[in-house]
This record gives sequence, structure tokens and C-alpha cells, in this order.
Amino acid sequence: MVGRDTSQGRKMLSLLGLLAPPTVFLGVFFITPLAIMVIYSFLEPGLYGGVVWNFYDLNYGRILGWADTRYEKFDPVYLTIFLRSVRLALTTVLLSLVICYPAAFWISRMPQGRKNFFLFLITLPFFVSLVVRLFAWVLILRPTGFLNQALMEIGMIAEPLNLIFTDTAVVIGMTYVFIPFMFLPLYASIEKLDMSLVEASADLGATRLQTFRRIILPVTLPGIVGGSIIVFIPSLGNFIVPSVLGGAKVMMIGNLIEQQFLSARNWPFGSALGMMVMAAVLLLLMIYVRMMTREEEYSTAAKVKES
Amino acid sequence: MSPILSVKDATKRYSTPEGGTITALDGVSLDVQPNEFVTLLGPSGCGKTTLLRTISGFEDLEGGSIEIDGATVTHLPAHRRPVNTVFQRYALFPHLSIARNVAYSLEVAGLKRAEIGSRVGEMLELVGLDGFGDRKINQLSGGQQQRVALARSLVARPKILLLDEPLSALDKNLRQKMQQELKTLQEEVGIAFVFVTHDQEEALTMSDRVAVLSDGKIQQFGTPEDLYRRPRNEFVARFLGAGNLLGATVSECKDAGAIALLESGQVAHLPSTDAACGEKIKLLIRPEDVRMDCTKDAGALRFEGTVRQVLFVGTDYIVHIETDDGTELKATLRPRAEDRGAITAPGARITLFVQQEALHPVTSAKVA
Repeated sequence: MVGRDTSQGRKMLSLLGLLAPPTVFLGVFFITPLAIMVIYSFLEPGLYGGVVWNFYDLNYGRILGWADTRYEKFDPVYLTIFLRSVRLALTTVLLSLVICYPAAFWISRMPQGRKNFFLFLITLPFFVSLVVRLFAWVLILRPTGFLNQALMEIGMIAEPLNLIFTDTAVVIGMTYVFIPFMFLPLYASIEKLDMSLVEASADLGATRLQTFRRIILPVTLPGIVGGSIIVFIPSLGNFIVPSVLGGAKVMMIGNLIEQQFLSARNWPFGSALGMMVMAAVLLLLMIYVRMMTREEEYSTAAKVKES
Repeated sequence: MSPILSVKDATKRYSTPEGGTITALDGVSLDVQPNEFVTLLGPSGCGKTTLLRTISGFEDLEGGSIEIDGATVTHLPAHRRPVNTVFQRYALFPHLSIARNVAYSLEVAGLKRAEIGSRVGEMLELVGLDGFGDRKINQLSGGQQQRVALARSLVARPKILLLDEPLSALDKNLRQKMQQELKTLQEEVGIAFVFVTHDQEEALTMSDRVAVLSDGKIQQFGTPEDLYRRPRNEFVARFLGAGNLLGATVSECKDAGAIALLESGQVAHLPSTDAACGEKIKLLIRPEDVRMDCTKDAGALRFEGTVRQVLFVGTDYIVHIETDDGTELKATLRPRAEDRGAITAPGARITLFVQQEALHPVTSAKVA
């Protein structure tokens, strides 16, 4: 008894030792700035930057619909930017999903050696700086760029398409950047897919389409949901891609936040905008966690039954 | 009665990664009657699973044809064939409840909800799982999963049920129980079952007829007793049950039988043999046909030798003896109480007898 107690105590101690550094690190460098942001978002902006320590709910009012009636009418421009960011992020998720799903299927059915090679290719973009890769896209998408030249060369278009500094350019750029993040979780769940399920479905009379809709899609759903979340979160708050490929014309919430902190020096408003992004992401994560716990309940129930 | 399944001259080759080819099926022909329980038996790589997968439609034949209930299905895709399969690892859909798993084939066929409900209910009752419909697959034991797989593949009323080693994942006791249940189920639903296994005991217990496969060919197709008592060649004799195979030469062929000369010099009278005069053959003696007491049959073979090893297995003793001319003989003996002392000690002298009727000649050549 005593021996077990001490060994358990030692286990606890070593666990504590292992967990303490990351806990302290996250506490200092993640929780503290976050707390500052939360507090700032409820403070009045100073006239020349900085904050005035008064409770002030008009930072959120400016975004959501109650403005300071003394100076201005409510302008939905911030809400529009926020909703556009959501739309662009969702489009990015959808596009990368459509590209990655068949690719993951195809690669997962390859022999081992070739599989590893393709997985390596998927991670290859990480070896080059993001900014460099995005400027390469500027060269591709601009009116005199590679894409327009090529399309005009083969006679598909008469004059250059207006691609650069549009929503399309931003979506293309973000899809390009986040494809590996979509691919890996998708691949993980597609590779686990038991092909005998597909055979069983065909055996029971299902056509290929029925098999896909009723078996393959639901079984690989965790990968689809996981990949979508991992792509949606950084897309929503992204500001590098829209500032390089969207120029001044396409503003996403990330650019707006950057602007508030750096040029406008309205930290409280910037913080409130940041909170909006976080709220959207948290809502999404909560739905995801709820879905996953339900799955978990089934498997634990099964384990209890076995024992 | 016309056969429900008729496989003619089925041929299938695979190319290996090294560039060679493997012949999985080499001109296999097989007829299965309605209501028949047929087992495809053989060692791994013999082609039995390939044969099953060409019937279900997962593999395409290179040559030959498959007819189900008189209709040619050789190039029909799997989802349009009137057969269903029970898979080795069941392949149950993990995201669906048990009822939805069973209902699957009816749902994709677009049946009405009410009919699906009643047929699924009937099926679950048939396999003894009524009341389990709402549970998830991973809440079931192996045996229960097995039954769901059976219910799922029977609910669409296939003309033939194909079973790909469905019992291999179960432990021994459960396996024996499921063997009986399968046999009962097959009699109840009254359709043909084609069952694949590498377990000879399973094949003998359940089947009406067994096809023994090796090297992509059917070595012998017959009733379990036929295969056990009258194997056509050495491969079948060795694959089914234990046996002694003694080398012999056919010395005299007559209308009413043949005479074979054993390597030990003994003379055996055989009822009949396909072997030609002078051909080298093997004589099959099942261990349980070896006896301790002298028989009235004057022509019985007599083996004198020394006990080398004795295994006590409950009712019987499995005794390995070496005869004085060096032949090894395995016998399953059930000696009377007063004789037990004579065999239980290795090194003891012993005399054993085998009746003429227990001898079965087999050729060493496989079906080619």
C-alpha cells in the first residue's frame, strides 16, 4: 500500500514537472495578452492612441449596431467586412476540400513508397517563405501575368481577366496556402477507411453514388470536419493573403484589426474586432466538440460492455 | 434439378509486383444445387477466396462463365447480382445502427419504410437479435456482429449466400456454436450457401458437399464422407484429417479389384483402383481404422513394432509406432482396460491390425 502511494506520488510529481513549463509559458504569453485584449475591448480609446480607463461598450456597438449617437450614425461597414471574411473563409474551406478529398483518396491507395513521396510533396511548400510564394501568385495573376498570357495564347480569352486584387485572388491564395492543412486530416481518415465497407455496400446492391453518399462520406466525416476547422480558423483571421493578393480593394477582418492596432491606434476597437473573430471560432469549435463527444460516448459504452 | 449456381471453366490470373503472374483460378467448374451447403476448402493461396469473389462480382473472370439461376452474370457488376456476402471481418457499417445496417440493402433498393421495418424486424428475430436494433456496432460482441452480418446479407433474399471465412475471427467454443447455427439457418432460409474456409473440420461438419482446392484447381468435389473415406489423391487425403500413407505398387489388376505390394513386402487386396498395373500408389489408412485386436478377416494387414510416442487425449490414445521394417504408423486406439498397460509405455512391443476394407488407394498426382 505504502509503496504504491509513493510510486503514485512520484508519478504525480513527474507529471507536474512535465506539465509545468508549458502551463507557465501559455499562462504568461497566451492568457495574459488575451486578458489584456478582453479588458481593452471594453475601454474607451484615447484621443491620440492608448486607452482611457472608462467602461465603454461602443467598441462592440460600432460593429454590431449601436453607435455613439452624438457623433455618427451606425455604419454596417464593419459587419460587412466581418461577413465577407466569413464568406471568403468558407469558400476557401470548400475549395480546398474539393481539391483535397479526391487527392487524398488517390494517394491513400498508392503503394507505400510512392505514397510517402506524395506526402512529402504536400509538405514541400513549407520549405519556402510564405511571402515569397504569395508574391509569386501576384506574378501569376496580374493582367500581364502568366495565367492571363497563357489563356490569351490559347485563345480562350481576348483580353486579360481582372484577377489580381479581387475576392477570387484572395480565395485562390488562401486555398493555396491552406491546402496542406486540409489534406493531412482528410488523408488520415480516408486512409483508415476499410475498403471492405465499400465492397459490402456494392454487394448489398448500392451503386457507386449511393456507396459514396451513404458509406464513404459519413465514415470520413471526422476528417472532413477536422480539416475544415483547421482551414477555417486561420482563413477567417488571415491578413497576409488579402494584403498581398487583395491589395487595398479586398479587406478582410484581419486587415481591419491590423489597421486599428498599427495605423489608427484604436486598440480598444481592434480588440473588440479580435473578440468577434474569436467568438466565431469558439462557436465552431463548440459544435465540433459536441459532435466528437457523442462519438466518444458510443465507443466508451462499447468498452464498458466488453469489460 | 437445375443448379442455382453454375461456374464453368473459370480462369483468373494476377500479375505480381515483380512482373510474374499467379494463376488463382485455372479452369474451375462447379455446380451448386438450390438448398445446398457447399464449402470451398483449401490452404491459403489455393484460389478459394478468388472463386468466391468472382461469384460475388468483386473480381472479373479472364475466361469462363458464371450463371446464377440460369442467367449469365459473368460481367455483371457486384451490385446487380442476386447474391450477398458475409465478409471475413463482417465489414459492418460503423456509423449506422444495427437496424440500419440490416436495412441497408432494402434502403438502397428504395423499398417503403414500413416494409423495411417489418423485414428488418423479422431478420433480427431470425438471428436472435430482436431488441438490439438501436445499438451501435461497436456495442456488440464478435458473435453478435457475426449475426448482424448474416441478417444484413439475408434480408434482401439473395439466391445464394456467400460466406468468406466468417468464423475465423471467433474463439473456438463460439465457432462451434456458430457452425451449428449457420447450418440451422441455412435449412431455415432454404437457399444455397457457398462457404469458404481453410478449416477442414468446419468444412466436414457443416457442408453437404465440399470442394477441395489447390493451385487454382478443384482437386475433388464431393460429400464430406466421400472426401474423407475416398480421397482421389494424396493432397486431398493429407488435407482432410490425419492419416497414414504407405507406399505400394500395384502388382496385379483384376476385374474385381487389384493387388498391391506394400514397401514392407505385405500384400494388400484392394476392392478397386484407377491406377494402372505397376504404378506406384499410396495406401491411406485412417488412424481410427488401426486396431489392436486380431480380426476375423484373414487378409488383414499385420504390423509388429515398437511404441514410440503416446498421447492421451481423453477417450482415446494417439499412438505412434515404428514397425520392424521402419514404417511409421499413427493409430487412434481405445484399448480395453486390461490392455492399456501394453501401449502406454514408449518402447513397448505391440501388434496392430488393419482390415482390407479400411485400405484406400490414392495416387500422388494432383489434378492438373
